[in-house]
Amino acid sequence: MPELSLSLLIQFIANGFVVGMYYTLLALGLSIIFGLIGVINLAHGALYALGAYAAYVFSRHLGFFPALVLSPLIVAVLAMAIEVTMLRRLYLKDPLLSLLLTFGLAMVVEQLLRMIFGAAGLPFDIPQRLQGFVRFGMLPYSRYRLFLLIVGILVIALLWWFLERTPYGRIIRAGTRDPEMVRILGIRLAPVFTAVFGIGAAMAGLAGVISAPLAGVEPAMGTAVGTAAFVVVVIGGMGSFWGPVIAGLLVGEIVSLFVLLYPPAADASMFLLMALVLLLRPRGLLGERWEKFE
Amino acid sequence: MTMIRLLAHPVLVFAYILALLPAVVHAIGQTVSLATEIVTFILTAMGFNLLLGYTGLVSFGHGAYFGLPAYVAALMQVRLGAGIVPAMLSGALAAVVLGTVIGYLVLRRRGVYFALLTLAFSQMFFAIVFRWTAVTGGENGLGGLQRPPVRIGDLTIPLSNQLVYYAIVAALTVLAVAFLWRLVESPFGRVLQAIRENELRARYLGYDTGQYKLIAFILSALLTGVAGVLYAFLIYFVYPQLVHVTMSGEIVAMAVVGGMRAFFGPALGATFFVLLRQILSGYTEHWLVVFGALFVFVVLFSPEGFAGVISRILPARPRPPIRRPLWEPTSSPDRTDPDPLVTPGEPVLVAKGLVKRFGALAAVDNVDLTVVRGRLHAIIGPNGAGKTTLFNLLTGLFPPDAGSIFLNGKEITGLPPERITRLGVSRSFQIVSIFQELTVFENVRIATQARSRHRLSVLARADDLLDVNAECARIIHLVGLAGKEDKVASSLPHADQRLLEIGIALATRPTVLLLDEPLAGLPPEERQRIAELIKKLSREVTIVLIDHDIDHVMALSDVITVMHQGRVIAEGTPDEIQRNKEVQQAYLGEIRVDGRTPPPRVEREPWVVVEGIHAFYGKAHVLHGVSLTLSRGEVACLLGRNGAGKTTTLRSIMGIVPPRSGRVVFGGREITGWPPEDIARLGIGLVPEGRRIFPNLTVEENLRIAWRNGRGRWDLEKIYRHFPKLAEIRHRRGEFLSGGERQMLAIARALMGNPSLLLLDEPFEGLAPMVVSDIVRIIQEIRGDVTMLLVEQNATLALGLADYAYIIGTGVIQYAGLPGELLARHDLLARLLGVTMSTGRGQ
Repeated sequence: MPELSLSLLIQFIANGFVVGMYYTLLALGLSIIFGLIGVINLAHGALYALGAYAAYVFSRHLGFFPALVLSPLIVAVLAMAIEVTMLRRLYLKDPLLSLLLTFGLAMVVEQLLRMIFGAAGLPFDIPQRLQGFVRFGMLPYSRYRLFLLIVGILVIALLWWFLERTPYGRIIRAGTRDPEMVRILGIRLAPVFTAVFGIGAAMAGLAGVISAPLAGVEPAMGTAVGTAAFVVVVIGGMGSFWGPVIAGLLVGEIVSLFVLLYPPAADASMFLLMALVLLLRPRGLLGERWEKFE
Repeated sequence: MTMIRLLAHPVLVFAYILALLPAVVHAIGQTVSLATEIVTFILTAMGFNLLLGYTGLVSFGHGAYFGLPAYVAALMQVRLGAGIVPAMLSGALAAVVLGTVIGYLVLRRRGVYFALLTLAFSQMFFAIVFRWTAVTGGENGLGGLQRPPVRIGDLTIPLSNQLVYYAIVAALTVLAVAFLWRLVESPFGRVLQAIRENELRARYLGYDTGQYKLIAFILSALLTGVAGVLYAFLIYFVYPQLVHVTMSGEIVAMAVVGGMRAFFGPALGATFFVLLRQILSGYTEHWLVVFGALFVFVVLFSPEGFAGVISRILPARPRPPIRRPLWEPTSSPDRTDPDPLVTPGEPVLVAKGLVKRFGALAAVDNVDLTVVRGRLHAIIGPNGAGKTTLFNLLTGLFPPDAGSIFLNGKEITGLPPERITRLGVSRSFQIVSIFQELTVFENVRIATQARSRHRLSVLARADDLLDVNAECARIIHLVGLAGKEDKVASSLPHADQRLLEIGIALATRPTVLLLDEPLAGLPPEERQRIAELIKKLSREVTIVLIDHDIDHVMALSDVITVMHQGRVIAEGTPDEIQRNKEVQQAYLGEIRVDGRTPPPRVEREPWVVVEGIHAFYGKAHVLHGVSLTLSRGEVACLLGRNGAGKTTTLRSIMGIVPPRSGRVVFGGREITGWPPEDIARLGIGLVPEGRRIFPNLTVEENLRIAWRNGRGRWDLEKIYRHFPKLAEIRHRRGEFLSGGERQMLAIARALMGNPSLLLLDEPFEGLAPMVVSDIVRIIQEIRGDVTMLLVEQNATLALGLADYAYIIGTGVIQYAGLPGELLARHDLLARLLGVTMSTGRGQ
């Protein structure tokens, strides 16, 4: 076990948050999609992968920062197109069908990526300006990881502000509890559904972009992270905003801890955490009791 | 069965096809091992479909039950040197253990959580298998499996021979399929399908559905596990991808593409999948894209999969008639069922001090109830009285917050529905809750079967349980559905569905039968039919009845309990209740000396026209041609008893329940069938039943979300001036508001939309007198500018406010005229709205 100095400890905790950040971004997207539309988006991991691949393409031609903005947008546009042309048809039918659809789409996307870009991982370097270390007094910390933390926190804050302080966010929140009443108030919900699907997708795409320099870009990246996102949502509990946030960071820390202490169990550790949480709090940490989940 | 029929049995046909498969495969230039692979995946997919297609449970983690048993078998042979047969058997055992443990954990959750948990567990096992290199070989997998010859007596079976191995695999699969076929036809299998259709109903028939689901889960895991083991020994290799979620996904895809609702659907899907992979992978390594795209296509356009397509092309095979016993109605079909425990006249169901709260609201508030054997007991009361909640408590849907319930002297408080049903309390539901896709006979049989000792049997033939079938036939005849046994439930007209609902409840042989609004949504002739049935049944079983049709309730019952706002306010014989002043008041509302009668409007120019609308909830025909008009600026009220169609009328105007025929015209524009959001934008607002404020938004947010620009110039400031109480609590979340506060907010919210037509559904319900006068004041202020249609329970209050009055009953308008006239004729009011019978008796 490496020597624990304060500097190392802080770095370690921060790294845990970094890992947790992608989980949180994905889990939040999943949570609002399910909350409003009622669809479990099994294609979420694929959207994450798409974001990373789009970033790969864009950054080669335009640079990292343009890619950072464009990739989530592209992913969102694609997702919204899917919602309008395919997912929408299934809202009034058996919920199993929309589940199967997103699952099938995930399969198709992953295979398409494999087909177009090859099965091997693609190189994606940390952009020049974000390389190296930043010093906090005596503490050095990876500049890129710091950047990632800042972007993540900004996005979460932005989403919170959007949901809690804007009229559109109000509509989304109201729609998660009583969509029919929202319509009775004269608000068309179909565009709101599309927008929310797009927002969730954009967050997944963004997570893909920012994780690319650290985790690499390869076709199977969506599946592992996608499942982790679901585990985070289950642990955090559905129906709350802060649940997935706390759970994401928690899972990030736990996984990092295992990577440090006992790497072989790192992947499985989040499932152990999930099992533990569910035994003690069946609805997750901050989950709400709504009929639609049960 | 004749010899020909026997030889053409689907399972045997399947066996013939499997026998020919190697030849077919050879003909297209492939080896026998491809055929073996196809068969193992057929077994996998069909095992999986027991859960998906038959029980309705989606498992995204079946890869675990395919791959892990394979690993166990491999480990047994490679690491521990076991023989091939013990190794295979250990794999099968591992599948059972896995299915039991995981199934138990995962089935405790429902819906979304269940599906996600199966996914998560599968990934967890993958992670373990991938990482535990020392044991499992890690990402390289474990090779070196062998198929040594197996000796049985004098016979040596050369398993390494591909054709021999194929024969073994095929034989095992045929056996498994035969077992599955039998299972599907068995009582157990029928219950699985009932669970898929309507799990709550199945519990209410006395089935412990958790038990059934777990057994199905274990069986499914076992079949898939056996397939995994056989596959491992086919390729002599196990590797982590067998456990991965991708594998799980492929299994799901096979079942869905092939057709999850057809018995052999998944077999088709599996065959297609393996063949496609083999053929396409010669051309491209991306054959999975094609399969994935096909999967997406099937989900979007043809959810019944290949099997569904095939069944549409082939001529329809007539369903084999169910073998029914030769049962003839005897001369005395009514059978007395003497219960040795309780003699007639004694209390059979007793509730004491029942309380049930939902948040701050007490839906049932200290209620005592004594149901006496042999006496037909009715429970009536105005809206929100707590009647259905009381039924829910008595049948165990949720436990009471306080109080106790006794059946035949034994306490049943807090027991789950399935146990209470088995102990002898049965119920029908307000909204018909039957198994829509099963036939009438199957519906009743599932119910009758719940008491049979064969109910968990996987091998018996459900059709062969003669005693069960005989009882079914008797009940079908009793409720009057004879001759319709083979009709699918969803095709029945509403009245027959109600009869079926009663039949199902009766089939559990209850001591007490609770009927929740059995006459709702029916025209008069059908009501009569059902009322007669109820009378007939009351000789056989003790009945407790909730209904709003006062005429029938008075005619049928021996005892009536009246509830109001969660409490019992009166109890007695029909005559006593009709004479009871307090009851009349509860129904009609208090006489309010307001002193403010509006000037009578002489001319009425219709600005809002509702013409002959018919509205349905599913099959229930609730509005039978309702017509009314509103003049611009007037306040009209719509009165009527519960179940009459008041709320439905408002919802039809608002577009929430689009009328099936008739018209709604608003200011010259026809809005029939428009979606609610478009109707709202025209300037129509609704204060809905149940208030429906958003619990997760604050008071102020609830108001802001509703704001629309309009003539009335209502905005946040104006609202706060008129409703100072709301200003005080502006930052409180909706879920923390009291009933009265919610009501106020609902009205304020509707005003924020600046409507020119305001529909109000019982706006005064549950409000304190002071608040009532606040609301009345506001109504007086805005009348003239805002046209209003007011649905109210409190008749006298509404009549005091309105310019024009309508009374609706059994889906049609029964009275239209000036409120003053109606107020003067109290006897007419009592007849139309109160507890007096329409025929004039007891006036």
